[in-house]
Amino acid sequence: MKNIKKYLTVLRISLQNAFVYRSNAIGGLVFYSLFIFVFFNLWRAIYQGGEAAGYSLTQMVWYLCMTELIVFGCKNGIYNEMNEDVKSGSIAYQLMRPYHYVFYQFFNALGSMFFNLIIYGVLAVVLGLIMVGPIPNFRLSLLPWGLCSVILGMVINFFMMMTLGLTAFKLEDNLAFFLIYQKLVFMLGMFIPVEFLPKWLQGIAHWLPFSYVAWAPAKLIVAFSWEFFWQVIPIQIFWAILSLMLALGMYSYGVRSLQAHGG
Amino acid sequence: MTQLKNVFKLIGLYFKVNLASALEYRSSFLMQVFGMALSNGTFVFFWWIAFAQIGGRIGGYDFNDVMFIWALTSTAFGAAHILFANMNRLTRLIISGELDTFLLQPKDILVSLLCSKTSLSAWGDFLYGFILIALTQGNSVMVWLMFLLGVVTGGLLITAICVTAHTFTFYLGDASLIGNMALEFVINFCIYPEGIYRGFIRVLMLSVIPTSFIVHIPLKLARSFNPLLLVVLLTVSFFYCFLAYKFFYRGLKRYESGNLLITRL
Amino acid sequence: MSIIEIRNLNKLYRTRVKEEGLKASFQALVRPVYTEVQAVKDISFTVERGEICAFIGPNGAGKSTTIKMLTGILHPTSGEISVLGFNPAKQRQKLSYHIGTVFGQKSQLWFHLPPTDSFTLLGAIYDLDKSTLKKRVDELTECFELGDLLKIPVRKLSLGQRIRCEVAASLLHSPEILFLDEPTIGLDVVVKQRIRELILRMNHEDGTTIFLTSHDTGDVEQVCKRAIVINQGQIILDQPIKKLKYDYLNKKIITVRFNLEQHLDAPIGVRVEKTGNLGACLSVDTRLISIDEAMRWLIAQGGVADITVQDPPMEEIISTIYTTKAVVV
Repeated sequence: MKNIKKYLTVLRISLQNAFVYRSNAIGGLVFYSLFIFVFFNLWRAIYQGGEAAGYSLTQMVWYLCMTELIVFGCKNGIYNEMNEDVKSGSIAYQLMRPYHYVFYQFFNALGSMFFNLIIYGVLAVVLGLIMVGPIPNFRLSLLPWGLCSVILGMVINFFMMMTLGLTAFKLEDNLAFFLIYQKLVFMLGMFIPVEFLPKWLQGIAHWLPFSYVAWAPAKLIVAFSWEFFWQVIPIQIFWAILSLMLALGMYSYGVRSLQAHGG
Repeated sequence: MTQLKNVFKLIGLYFKVNLASALEYRSSFLMQVFGMALSNGTFVFFWWIAFAQIGGRIGGYDFNDVMFIWALTSTAFGAAHILFANMNRLTRLIISGELDTFLLQPKDILVSLLCSKTSLSAWGDFLYGFILIALTQGNSVMVWLMFLLGVVTGGLLITAICVTAHTFTFYLGDASLIGNMALEFVINFCIYPEGIYRGFIRVLMLSVIPTSFIVHIPLKLARSFNPLLLVVLLTVSFFYCFLAYKFFYRGLKRYESGNLLITRL
Repeated sequence: MSIIEIRNLNKLYRTRVKEEGLKASFQALVRPVYTEVQAVKDISFTVERGEICAFIGPNGAGKSTTIKMLTGILHPTSGEISVLGFNPAKQRQKLSYHIGTVFGQKSQLWFHLPPTDSFTLLGAIYDLDKSTLKKRVDELTECFELGDLLKIPVRKLSLGQRIRCEVAASLLHSPEILFLDEPTIGLDVVVKQRIRELILRMNHEDGTTIFLTSHDTGDVEQVCKRAIVINQGQIILDQPIKKLKYDYLNKKIITVRFNLEQHLDAPIGVRVEKTGNLGACLSVDTRLISIDEAMRWLIAQGGVADITVQDPPMEEIISTIYTTKAVVV
């Protein structure tokens, strides 16, 4: 109980911190709007031929609003932070503190994630309404269920990036891995819904975690169905737990080698 | 004319030192080059999917057209960042007073400043464009010529836009946001067909953020050459650079007056 | 003709003030409020060729502002400056070929490269041809005992080694004047001493005029022949170092701790400033008693556990200057 309170304090402080960096926030909002605007124009041009892969233009724009929301929401540089902590050796000081580093970082990031989710969420709604109007057949009562999936997507993304950052323990140059991960998330959901991909690739994507970061939650928001909900939530939970395990494993492995070789 | 020659000499000098510095970390260098080329590759994938779904043209461009503007953006951006990587750090350099070092040297301040850093990953961007052109455009001489021309004018324009944006630091105190925005806008307007935009944005792309001159006009020239358009492109590019240069030196006067320095105390 | 001439130099900073908060931010945008800070007030002095001149004062006294105006980085609000016959504000580029600068915390060396590479680049920047550069580098390598240091990436050099390379780099184009802004800041005693010796040697061998700013009285005492003291933008003293030393740098502070309680009966020239039950703070007037004598007396008291000798801080010297100026002049 006391433990949880400790992490909740971390969460609260990081939330306050997020409010302080206003100019960062403004920059992010501008970039978010820019991306959405560009994509809106692009998809409008693409959709001149009509509907594609079951998404209407309205749904498509909202879909992108949501995937960008997830990516921007997570954009707290966790990979860079891990990477630097490990490479500069400052992670050694974290070992002495009476908390678990992985959970500390998680709750620390959670603050800015909440903050981002709210401000980008509001922006997403405003932009979506201006550009294409409301989502067809949208029911507010179903939104919380969709948001569950959004949060799960962010959690998977967070622990994946953390794991990649922690590979710095062993690999001098891990940037390429991070870029590959990032691009996989982009291709398997963020830029284009999985339904657009060739059949064989769709099959592969369903077995990988990348689509569950952005595609699944965004689809739930723009075209909610209970059937899809019960299909993806267990998979998301599975990947969330697995990515957490990966992060924990990578961390304890790294710490052991740090203690053995002095970094 | 000798002045221009001196500028080229200076750029060459810095390029050599920069490259030596980069090669101190060879494995990191290769990794970044590879990573950047790979990350650009995902966009090809995106367009491949988009054209596979829709077919035909998007915003008036076919697949090869899109690949041309992509390649040009990538290589021009790469070239600019190999030679002038400090363009993104201008604000930081101004605020932290690092201009002093360059003010004390007898060479052109803006050129020395821009050149004194290189970007490793930019090599990836630079090479990527060449590969893409080779793979998608065949061996039309005109395409290659216009590509190479576009790399020069585009690289200069990207640099000029960045310099202009960061120069606002002299007036506003911290223009890093404006600088980042300028770069982000440029890239985003460059990598899509201009036909997807309408009205106001199209005007913007021909004026304040001259992205049309960076990629879209070189593409037009590559597809159907028009000497008049070429003259327009060259004139606009050099005029824009000239303006950025002048604007920077006007801002620099405020630095020399010291009123900027004290704000950071 | 004097190598540096400054007449009635003033520097006024105009800076925007903004209160805390968002509302004030908007107000500042619409109707900005300015305040003026006078960093340098009507200063005049000259420096002769071959002189080593110190420009001293506490932080924020206007030292850096002045040196920046002398080198052309900053333009003066009013007054005249002539350095080697050039007006730095208008002829910065021409002047730059003739002056060298070392700004304590700003490096002109490339962090990831060995100094040789930076030297090559700087040589090209200052338009030195290859043979001249090589000759000069050899000279400096010998003088500064750089040897193998030139081949080690700068990031792997110690601060002292780096500063040595830094000073050498600023001398590549054989400048007539060398400006040093806080050259020994952050260095330990031994390295400081080494840098001071090098500066002296430069002056002797090449006849380089040296203008240095410092808030370390040690730099001043050992290197310079003349000192200009500046405080709050005004010159409050300009005299040979010997006189300055006699008049103002005549005090040492001794802090001492004893094992057992002591009753101190100070000799002439030593004053007990403070006493605790097992320690004391003494000031020594070196005109009346040498440090050597004072220490011997102190040791003779017995039971000394710890002892430190310090120069009085710059601020104190300045306030002494103010209080005694009337008498001295």
